[in-house]
Amino acid sequence: MGMEQAWLLPAIPAVAFVVLALFHGYLPRQGDWVAIGASIASFGLFLFVAIDLFDQLPAAGAALVNNTAGFDWVEIPEIDFVLRIGFRVDQLTVVMLSAVTFVGMLVHIYSTGYMKGERRYGWYYAVLALFVASMMTLVLADNFLLLYITWEGVGICSYLLIGHYYERRSAAEAAKKAFITTRIGDVLLLIGIVLLWREAGTFDMSEIFHMAEEGGFDKTYLTMATLFLFGGAMGKSAQFPFHVWLPDAMEGPTPVSALIHAATMVVAGIYLVARVMPLFEASFDGALYFVVAIGLITTFLSVFMGLVMTDIKRVVAYSTLNSLGLMMVALGFGEAGVGAAMLYLFAHAFFKALLFLGCGSVIHATKRQEVSELGGLRKKMPITNATFLIGALSMAGMVPLAGFFAKDEILVQANDFNIVVLVLILITLPLTAMYMWRVYALTFLGQPKDERVHEHAHEQAPVMVYPLIALAGLAAVVGFVVFEPVGEAIGLGQGFLETVENVLVADPHHFEFDWPIAIISTLLVGGGLLAAMRIWSGDATIAKEAGARYRFAHQLFLNKFYLDDVYQWIITNVVIGFGKFIAVFDRTVINDTGVDGPGDVANGTGFLLKLQQTGKMPNYALAMLIGVLVLAIVGFSVKG
Amino acid sequence: MTVAEVIFYAIAIVSIVAAIGVVTVPNVVHAALFLILSLLGVAGFYILLSNEFLALVQILIYAGTISILVLLALMLTRGREQNLPSVSAGAQWPLALLGSLVLGAVLLTAVLDVNWPRDDGIVTLVDINTLGGALFRDWLLPFELVSVVLTVALIGAVVISHRDEEET
Amino acid sequence: METAAEQISLEAFLFVAAIIFSLGVYGVLSRRNAVQILMSVELMLNAVAVNFVAFAVYTDPELFRGLIFGIFVIIIAAAEVGLALGIILNVFRSQATVNVDEVSELKW
Repeated sequence: MGMEQAWLLPAIPAVAFVVLALFHGYLPRQGDWVAIGASIASFGLFLFVAIDLFDQLPAAGAALVNNTAGFDWVEIPEIDFVLRIGFRVDQLTVVMLSAVTFVGMLVHIYSTGYMKGERRYGWYYAVLALFVASMMTLVLADNFLLLYITWEGVGICSYLLIGHYYERRSAAEAAKKAFITTRIGDVLLLIGIVLLWREAGTFDMSEIFHMAEEGGFDKTYLTMATLFLFGGAMGKSAQFPFHVWLPDAMEGPTPVSALIHAATMVVAGIYLVARVMPLFEASFDGALYFVVAIGLITTFLSVFMGLVMTDIKRVVAYSTLNSLGLMMVALGFGEAGVGAAMLYLFAHAFFKALLFLGCGSVIHATKRQEVSELGGLRKKMPITNATFLIGALSMAGMVPLAGFFAKDEILVQANDFNIVVLVLILITLPLTAMYMWRVYALTFLGQPKDERVHEHAHEQAPVMVYPLIALAGLAAVVGFVVFEPVGEAIGLGQGFLETVENVLVADPHHFEFDWPIAIISTLLVGGGLLAAMRIWSGDATIAKEAGARYRFAHQLFLNKFYLDDVYQWIITNVVIGFGKFIAVFDRTVINDTGVDGPGDVANGTGFLLKLQQTGKMPNYALAMLIGVLVLAIVGFSVKG
Repeated sequence: MTVAEVIFYAIAIVSIVAAIGVVTVPNVVHAALFLILSLLGVAGFYILLSNEFLALVQILIYAGTISILVLLALMLTRGREQNLPSVSAGAQWPLALLGSLVLGAVLLTAVLDVNWPRDDGIVTLVDINTLGGALFRDWLLPFELVSVVLTVALIGAVVISHRDEEET
Repeated sequence: METAAEQISLEAFLFVAAIIFSLGVYGVLSRRNAVQILMSVELMLNAVAVNFVAFAVYTDPELFRGLIFGIFVIIIAAAEVGLALGIILNVFRSQATVNVDEVSELKW
């Protein structure tokens, strides 16, 4: 049982989806045990696959392992088109799979408590299973076409799940917004894939990477194609300017946000960029600089917006944007940054899911999500309080939690790349710490703002609590895998970073703990936390005064930099305006003139011609005479 | 100007004037009388062409029976009142006039332009013997067919104008 | 002694026939009374017959086909008149008029 059975990983949830979709009405408890069982089985199988991979990976410094299993489903040789269902397992895949299967399993269990009694319970699990299947196939895919298909698949599941409470208008709108925004990215992705296929004649990833490394692509062409691929990543990973869908996606059930919009789907873009790094390396440097720029913009925007939002889920959503931006920046550093990005992705899966599930606990207990109605939950929900705090500190990057190591590695790479980028990221550190502490403090500390809400709050059922604890544990310690001894202990054979970089380079650079950067970052984070403690303590009077004094900035952040309004304006005026023009064009030119026109002409001509039938014989005889005369005259003149 | 030519022109003028009369006079009966005159003129043409048989046939059938039939029809279709319209011309007479003038011009152009084949002045004079022989020998079949046509027309005319008996 | 035909040119006969034919056409197209139209048709037929006979005499010595045809024209004309008058009588019975301008049921 090992890598060869990797195809089972998506197959099990896929079967679960079919069973649930068709029969959830007839099964006891609407079949949630089917989904949960599938997720546990997937996790178990994943462990076997991962162990097998690291067993077969030679020790540090060795060449890459190539293994793909699959079959060609559709083949049209004349145009070089092959749709192959092929799976390949390597370190990148394993990192992604670990997040998907583990967090997925926890979310499945957690949902039994959170979604208890909710409508369409069985369908929820069905779509969840489908999502897991698609996501796993996405990271296992060995060719771009399969990747694209599953890319769309996860998009659909996201749409269905965000719109789970579709009776609520805002939920339906949010689902639509998410889908359409990512759709734009998907089109760019498709263009990129087709561009590559055009030149390479194949969709297979290894072949294309090989061709790129050996210079088989024209550099400009390759850069263009790569940027199109990045467009897809921008859409799915909510980078500026496509970031607008992620906060609204919080309309969906919270476990969904934890799984899809924190741990797995949104990082599909990160995975994609990491996977096609060979293409980036073979393109012009400008492509990577673009990635860095976009990542930085996303990070900064989200940090500011997170400082003023009042819905706890939304704040966590903006923190996800923050994290995604950082990961993109790391990837923009090139091959060297892939390790850092994947480390952050790995840690982020745990602490972000933890934060979301913690929000879920609070929401489930109080039926509220606005900080103006919460507060002082520390005593009433101690476990949630503790785990949420760990998650928040990990996100902020406090030593020695996982988030610290992840952020640190990014800082180290930034230092190697460009000092300005390093400084920019450093600036975000205290700000991140501030808004994370803010949301924690306003929810759990201080005096409750609504006594009635506070009365009823209590710790939730065990199925909801244990996942929190598990995730908190991981969010705390998982950062230590960067150290070689720890890596060897869990079977990697080397440190985490070297393992990941092994995918791209045969001889990855050795991890070394950078003390100066670590100290600077710790000071910044600590400073941010302290400042936040002061600003938002007690009645948060300082915060309120600041809000009043910097009213313009406050409004700007609260309105999300008015980007949503800009997009809405574009849609109403440009898109719909164009649509109206097209409608008029269709109606008058195509319908009235093109389709009705000949008919009307025929009709009119017939109407005019019928007047010829006067019924009077002399008229007819005259017509005959005229005909004969015309013929005679023509005949005479022709004959000459 | 030979005698024959003079006679020809005289008959021609009479025929043409009579024809004009047929198509212009308001009184229908007068028009019928002019028709008879014109037909007689044509008979004169046949005599000039030394075709006495044809001239006789013309007078007998055309001027005789057909004209009588026409007059009979005029009598039977008199209508309730003897209100002949002041003008007997229909609504489209200008166009008709124009059309017929053009037609005449076309025909006259044809007549004058075309080089009619000539047998050097030799003119055929067919006597009645030869004509009868040809008619009943070489042209027997058409002759019989024409008689069938006549019969059919006769029967047809009777059928068409047969008045159904009224139920009483 | 010359025959009359030798002294008169072919064109003369054709000329006259053409004129009478055109007059007949005018009559067909512009008369109101159906019987008058029929009379104009007779004029036309006559002119045609004259044409045929003239051609036969002047250009067809052995076979004189035009003569025969002229006879047939006369015979057919007689048949046609009989039928036409039958039709006119029929129309007159149902419409009480022989004015062709008024008999226009088959109009649009």
